[in-house]
This record gives sequence, C-alpha cells and structure tokens, in this order.
Amino acid sequence: MGAPAPTPEQTATPPSPVAASSPTPPAAKPPAPNRPVWVKPVLTAAVALVAALLVVLVARWLRTLPAIDGFIGQYPGHVALPESAPTGIPAWLAWQHFLNMFFMVLIIRTGIQVRRTQRPAAYWTRKNTGLLKTRRPPKKISLDLWLHLTLDFLWALNGIVFMVLLFATGQWMRITPTSWDVFPNAASALLQYASLDWPTENGWVNYNSLQVLAYFATVFIAAPLSLITGLRMSNVWPADAKRLNRFYPVELARAVHFPVMGYFVAFIAVHVFLVFFTGVLANLNHMYASNDGASWAGFWVFAASLAVVAAAWLLARPLFLRPLAALTGSVTK
Amino acid sequence: MKIVVLTKQVPDTNSDRKLNLTTGLTERDASDPVPDEINERALESALKYRDAGGDVEVIVLTIGNDVTKSARKLLSMGADSAVIVEDGSLAGADMVQTAKVLAAALRRIGFDLVLAGNESTDGRGGVVPAMLAELLGLPLLPSLDEIQIAVDAVSGEVQVDGGSLSLRSPLPAVASVTERSAEARFPNFKGIMQAKKKPVTTLSLADLGIVAGPEAPGARSVMVSALERPAKQAGPKIVDDGTAADKLADFLASNRLL
Repeated sequence: MGAPAPTPEQTATPPSPVAASSPTPPAAKPPAPNRPVWVKPVLTAAVALVAALLVVLVARWLRTLPAIDGFIGQYPGHVALPESAPTGIPAWLAWQHFLNMFFMVLIIRTGIQVRRTQRPAAYWTRKNTGLLKTRRPPKKISLDLWLHLTLDFLWALNGIVFMVLLFATGQWMRITPTSWDVFPNAASALLQYASLDWPTENGWVNYNSLQVLAYFATVFIAAPLSLITGLRMSNVWPADAKRLNRFYPVELARAVHFPVMGYFVAFIAVHVFLVFFTGVLANLNHMYASNDGASWAGFWVFAASLAVVAAAWLLARPLFLRPLAALTGSVTK
Repeated sequence: MKIVVLTKQVPDTNSDRKLNLTTGLTERDASDPVPDEINERALESALKYRDAGGDVEVIVLTIGNDVTKSARKLLSMGADSAVIVEDGSLAGADMVQTAKVLAAALRRIGFDLVLAGNESTDGRGGVVPAMLAELLGLPLLPSLDEIQIAVDAVSGEVQVDGGSLSLRSPLPAVASVTERSAEARFPNFKGIMQAKKKPVTTLSLADLGIVAGPEAPGARSVMVSALERPAKQAGPKIVDDGTAADKLADFLASNRLL
C-alpha cells in the first residue's frame, strides 16, 4: 500500500537567480468573454452562409450579362479530348483508386498521430539484416511513424503502378490539360458551379476543365510534393549530404508537408461532395463498378470499400500493429 | 516450482500524479492506474524462466481496491493466476502493514521464490521485500540488476558502493529486481484472450486470519505534512558578452553548487 513517508521540513535554501533581471511572469491571458460556447460557431456558420449566398447571387447576376453569357457559350466548361483518348474507366483504374483512397485515409490519420502523440505506445527499430542492410545502424522510430512510413511506401508503390498504367493506356489525357483552353473553360465551369446552375457533364467520357485541373494538381503536383517532403523528413534521407541539405533544408520540407495534407483534405471534401451531388449512382458506377449504368452496383462496391477502410482504421492499434512491425524489426517500449 | 510476483497498481508515471494535501495519501483517482512497470520486469524474469523450459507456476499477488484490471494485464503477459487481497481497512496502510499482509498471503498461497520490484514508482519506499524476507525468515537478494532462476536456487548481480556483488541463495528466497533486469514483453492478442479465463482469487483479511492496516495496533507511520511541488521558476539567462564565465562561476558559487 506504501503510505508516503513523512516529508522532511525543507532545510536547504532553493537556488535563487543570480542576475538582477528576475524572470517576468507570463502575461496573463485576457479573461474569456462571458458568452456561451455555441455563439462563435453559430456566428461563423451564419457569416459563411451569407457569404455563400452573396457568391451565388453575384454569379447569377454575372450570368445575366450578355458578355458573360457569350463567354460561357464559347467556353462551355470542358475541352474536347484528343481523338486517341480512351472512353470509360477500366477496372484497373477502379482498383487503383480504391487502394489510393485506402492508403490516403490511413496516411492522413497516422500523419496526424505522429504530430500529436506525445508518448508513443511502442517503438520500432529496423532489423539491419537481409535485403535492407545499411552501413549506419537503423534509428528507433515510434510505432505510429512506422505505420505512416509503411503506408507511404505502399501508397507510393500504388502511385507508380498508377502512373505507368495511366501513360500506357492513354488515360493520362483525361486528367492532363492538353490545350490552354482549359483555363477559360475552368473559369466558366467555376462560374456555373457558383451560380448553382451546374455544368452538364459525363464523367465517363470527359471531365470538365475544373476537374481536369484539380485531378492534375492532385496527381502530378500534390502527391509528388508530399512524397518528396516526407522523404526529406524520414531517416531514409542522407543526413550527411551537406550541400544537398543546404539546398533543400529539412525546415522547408516540414513547412510544406503539412499544408499539402491540408490540400488533400480540402480536395477530398470537395471531391466527395461533388460525387454525391452530381449523380451519385452514375458517378459511383464509373469509379467503383467500371460501367456507365444507373444501377446500385457501384454504390455497393463503394460501401464495401468504406467498410474495408473502417476496419483497417479500427484494427490499426498497437495490439495488432506490434506483431506486424515485429516482422521487420524489433518492437520495444 | 511456484514463483509469486509481488505487484502494485500505481498511478501512471506519464500522467499527472497528485498527493492529497490533507491526508498525505496518493490520489488514486487523479491518474490512470497501471501495474507498476518494475513489477512487469519482475514478472518478465519469471516468464523467461518458464520460456526456457522451467516447470513453473507464476502467480501475481497484489493488494488494493479495484485492481482487477491491472492484474488482468499481468495475466495477459503470461502469468498463470492472480491473487488480490482486498480489504477496506487496508486503505493508507504503511509498508510494515503491507509486508504483514503479503507475508500472510504468501504463506497461504505457498511459494518457492518471491519476486518483487526494488521500489514502487509511487511510494518509492523500497523496503517491502526486505520486511517480507524478515517476516518469512528467508534470505533476500535485493535490487538485482541481473537475475538467474534455477530449479533449486536463485542468483544475481547487485550494484553496491564501489563494485558489484554476486549473490546466490537456495530456494525458498525473496528477490527484488531493478529496472535493468529485464525488458517487459507486450501482451499479445492471444494472451489478452486467455487472461480473461485465468483464475483471479480475491481474499479479505478475514480469509487470511489477520488484522492489519492503519488502525491495527502497534507502531505506524504517519504523514506529518505534505506540500505541493512549487512551480518551476525560469532561471537567469547569461549571454556571453565576455564575462559569461565569471557570471557562471558566481551563479554556481552563490547557490553553493561548487
């Protein structure tokens, strides 16, 4: 039971600061204004709603102007694809898309865990034998970071397969701007979205220019950026390469990595929203069932894929991760 | 062979730990209760002996109210059964009383070797193993950095001033280990499932046939005063303008640190 022993009276004088400049106490925080907690979110939501309403009204008014109407007539919101572009979404792309979603969700989660966890449940040190044998001894990392890096590796692998197939099959043309017309068309599509009179589209055949730009930015800019900044922060990066590291300091990678995650989250939010509000069954059939029908097939495959992600989310806890991590290294407290 | 590992549920050292300033006792609700890490290391030593082929029954023994969860954690690591002594009159018992209860429980369970941590992370008394050895009339191997268990003996290394000692004793004996002794294993899924079915026996003081606790007659430890640790003050900053060495020396001298 260990009842605490009597505390001896303090006899030694505590060390006193030597310099005259005594430390100033931290400035007291201003007292919180006396109002209920719900006020701020409600006010924010109200302001956002009014702003959104204004955007819609301005966009609607703009569309009544003959010049703008003519602009939309000239640039309907999408650019015609090259003759050689394929039609439809093949099964491999559906599979790649699912794997990408699976990894992205868990990567964002583990990335946030790496940032926020103050006391990791366990640590992992790579076994320095076999294929991955390095001169320098491996560094100990948290189990959270191990999972993050493992998923990163699989995600990058998935991305490489995706890129190879994208260019081999001509699918790249569908998500890459092939003419400068993509910009006026994207502006046109944006105006049409803002006016709540959305552009008619058929994602099975061609994406609108706003989609093309967003998909291009995500696949060819954000994903490589997150990879190269993540690599810079990882133990894989050569820490001793002085000239390289002066040119590309780790602080830069840190400053970029997190905002790129923010971009991904924003993209996913808008992407999912538009998938659900621009013909959800057709859209899900395109990407999850590789057909252009109106059945519920794509929806059910999508639902199953969500269940898989949720299961992985729930199982990604130290109890189940430890034996996995122990396959490639030693797991310690 | 029977090894009894003494364990104690303590506030997690990684959470905020609090002392009740009126009673001087640990506020056990203020932080997450866990089995003391040093006990996990002691248990690990027993489990290693079993893994190496030793024919052994490993029992964890603990005292306290509402400690079943942390006992289950030790069972999930691989202990065979748990014995909990739970009695309201033990709240606030000092180490003498604790040792008395443990001795009674150990006599009832039966044992060849008693393994304990060298000191708990909350009370940090560190004398319960010695008191127990005294009460049981057994040899004590205290604060072992390394421990070897054999069929009929226990031996190990202990650091003392100016060197280290090799100790060896025939069984039965009492031994305590330091945090250098072993790295505790993680419970695995199978262990956690099995732990749910392992026997946990709860005993009261009446079951043990003794009277103990703060109200028991005889000498007792009393908390005289308890103070909250004062907030840390930021120290002075010394910028090197050529006189930093002198200032540092003055600082050390004025605080009697030289």
